Amino acid sequence: MWQKLYTWLDERLGLGDMYANLLDRPEPKGNWWNTLGSASLFLFILQGATGIFLTVYYTPSPDHAYDSITYIMNDVAFGWLIRGIHHWGASLMVLVVFIHMVRVFVTASYKYPRELTWLIGVGLLLLTLGMGFTGYLLPWHQMAYWATTVGTQIAGSVPFLGEFILKALRGGPDLSALTLQRFFSAHIWMLPALLAGLIGVHLYLIIRHGESHFPDEED
Amino acid sequence: MNEETKKTISEKYERELQKGERFWPDSIFKDVVVSLGLFVLLLLLATFVGVHTPPKADPSDTSYIPRPEWYFLFLFKFLALYGQIPVLGKIEFIATVIIPGAAILVLTLLPFIEKSPYRHYGKRVLPISVMALFIVSMVTLTMIADIPTTSGTDGVYVAGIAQTIGGLVVPGLAFLGLFIMAFTLKQKAKKGMIWTTVIASVLMVVFTGLTLVYAPTVEAEAAEVPVTLPDQITAGQDLYSVHCVECHGDDGSVSVIEGVEGLEGEELTPINSRDVLYTITDSAMQEVIAYGRPTAGMNPFGKAYGGELTRSEIDYIVTFMRYAWDDRFEMPPVKPLYPALAEGEVPSYDVHIAPIVKRYCISCHRAGKENNNYLMGTYDEILHSGDNGPNVAAGDPESILLLTIQGTPILDDNGDELIGTMPPNKQLKADIIDVFLRWVMAGMPQTAEEAAALSTAPLPTPTP
Amino acid sequence: MSGSHLSRRDFMKAATGAVGGVITAALGIPVIGFLIAPALREDKAGAPIAVGKLEDIPVGKFHPFSFTITKVNGWERTASNYGGFILRNSEAPDDILILSSRCTHLSCTVNWNESANAFLCPCHDAKFGPEGQVLDGPPPEPLGHFEYSVDDQGVLTIVPVELKSEA
Repeated sequence: MWQKLYTWLDERLGLGDMYANLLDRPEPKGNWWNTLGSASLFLFILQGATGIFLTVYYTPSPDHAYDSITYIMNDVAFGWLIRGIHHWGASLMVLVVFIHMVRVFVTASYKYPRELTWLIGVGLLLLTLGMGFTGYLLPWHQMAYWATTVGTQIAGSVPFLGEFILKALRGGPDLSALTLQRFFSAHIWMLPALLAGLIGVHLYLIIRHGESHFPDEED
Repeated sequence: MNEETKKTISEKYERELQKGERFWPDSIFKDVVVSLGLFVLLLLLATFVGVHTPPKADPSDTSYIPRPEWYFLFLFKFLALYGQIPVLGKIEFIATVIIPGAAILVLTLLPFIEKSPYRHYGKRVLPISVMALFIVSMVTLTMIADIPTTSGTDGVYVAGIAQTIGGLVVPGLAFLGLFIMAFTLKQKAKKGMIWTTVIASVLMVVFTGLTLVYAPTVEAEAAEVPVTLPDQITAGQDLYSVHCVECHGDDGSVSVIEGVEGLEGEELTPINSRDVLYTITDSAMQEVIAYGRPTAGMNPFGKAYGGELTRSEIDYIVTFMRYAWDDRFEMPPVKPLYPALAEGEVPSYDVHIAPIVKRYCISCHRAGKENNNYLMGTYDEILHSGDNGPNVAAGDPESILLLTIQGTPILDDNGDELIGTMPPNKQLKADIIDVFLRWVMAGMPQTAEEAAALSTAPLPTPTP
Repeated sequence: MSGSHLSRRDFMKAATGAVGGVITAALGIPVIGFLIAPALREDKAGAPIAVGKLEDIPVGKFHPFSFTITKVNGWERTASNYGGFILRNSEAPDDILILSSRCTHLSCTVNWNESANAFLCPCHDAKFGPEGQVLDGPPPEPLGHFEYSVDDQGVLTIVPVELKSEA
């Protein structure tokens, strides 16, 4: 029965090929430092899952954002857990992605033929920081409000274009409901979509070129 | 890169694969173990550390010191230090745009900048030194992010000098040194670069240590923000008791103001009435408290209009009014003002007196009010301040405070009233008076431990 | 040798699957609670609400009334409007029927129609008799009613919880 079902699915999905190409690949001798990339992916998925669940209650409006998060933390079953994981997961993800970058730098894994993997990796690091920056404003507390005021003001110091960039980031001259809404949109739609897409390319490149080996005296 | 090198690299990789492992399950197993570790770490952090909640955003409260997420702190500190540089420090976009932009550009284009085919760290001293210095400065800048760059006063500010040297001068010189060595000495520079990196890192750590040691002590953060509804109601009631009772009374029922200088006899709508509660929305009430009714004699209370209260605090007052007086809302169980006293138990300032004073006395007995300079904000003030003080004496039932709260005014030599009964409009409940009596008779213990020690005394006889 | 190697791999495969399952469960079970939490909250009966003086309500005629309940839903206080009909059968203060105007079919609002001598629902043509009983149409049960009390001053107060009426 199961054999038949598997055969039927395999004919259509190509499960056997997938197994051979994606999972049953040869790799250089592994090292615990090599797990940081997959750890980043794990944290991305975890952040995605907890983030999706938080939007069930979170309301991106200056009138309700703070209260809805207080509600999540105090009145929803396991709300403290989901928010806690998302909050700490953000910090951990920045840390893990950064250490992953340093590891790749130290072992010079960005060299031929993996230049493009590095390029996309830097994009992923910047997007992760962007997620941290946009997500920080969402609870709409004092710290977030004033930190984002300063943070966007930094973009406003660009010569000539500063004023324009500042208004584009904030959705106007001041931090307002429009800022919160566009940060929310960036945090849950645009940046994650970009991240997911680039992660896909990053993974494709890793499978295509294989994981780099730990360099020795010869390299 | 020529075809020859590419071929060498590919062949080397093939040999590594021969000695290697399978992706599934060997590598994936390790990945999953690490992921599980991170997941458990997150569970522990979420459970035992939780999420710190600052008060709600308040655009009118500009006194708040902004802090970005910790991973941007190094940049935050760099901007502060950079701003101290004479002349150059005024050109802000160099630090905000050019330097970070250049760093990101170099990082992005790294494979095209460092084009040598070598991968072993022994053959890549310059890039690794640069990265090491960069990471050490990031970490040290993050650690000193909370320490002010200038002291604001004249004189030598050691922490400021130390952080400028450790956070800006040393890394700057080290980067410069590395590049000069790399381009002048070429192959022979290896040792010099390693030593530069090591010495610079040690110096940065040392100066960071110095900064931390000589840093001025920073006041601890303000009290916890009330998050649960009962806590918010209590916070609102305390604030109401300080700012509103004088005119509106403790239950909001006052319709003619008594005993308030300048507003004597002023008529107002009882704010606990349905007329008010049913027709005025929360946000309208917040605005009334924030802006006041200046033409009708009500001062502004919101920080936005020169008052003392933040948005969140006004929010708590409105929440308290709703749940206490609006019959459409059911009051949740709220913690009692102070824990009830057992037979022979002595109350303490910290646990009993402070919350009672905050609720019933502070409204008038704080700076800027007419109160014969008797302030009740702290333990010391209650004991020692006041023109007629001390108003409490250990074990003395004739203490001014005890007499006045029990309805006996203090008269001067001519028989005129010097101090009226307290509180002026409404006597305290008997159990609260009892708390004050027990506290003064037992010698006014400050902490719960001191009170407990007195409670266990076998015969608490009042001193003569 | 190869046998033990294989079993080590099998162990790794099983362990990987198990750890994945543990993480999914450790997150999945709380998430279920997180999602259904509002559904598990008990509705609280509101305080009794005064709907008018007895003397202002005509006898023998359906008198429409409405009231508002403010509920705390999550972090929001929202006012919901409810309404119904008061029928005083006689002058006696306890001879009163208070029906809800909420159709028991799909919660549209019914109206009293004098000529049909029935409550008509505008949505799916339900028809209820003067006692709230189902005369025609899809509703599964009669209109709900409210408990009430009348105080010394003749003020009619209802308990704002809709009760099921016996068929």
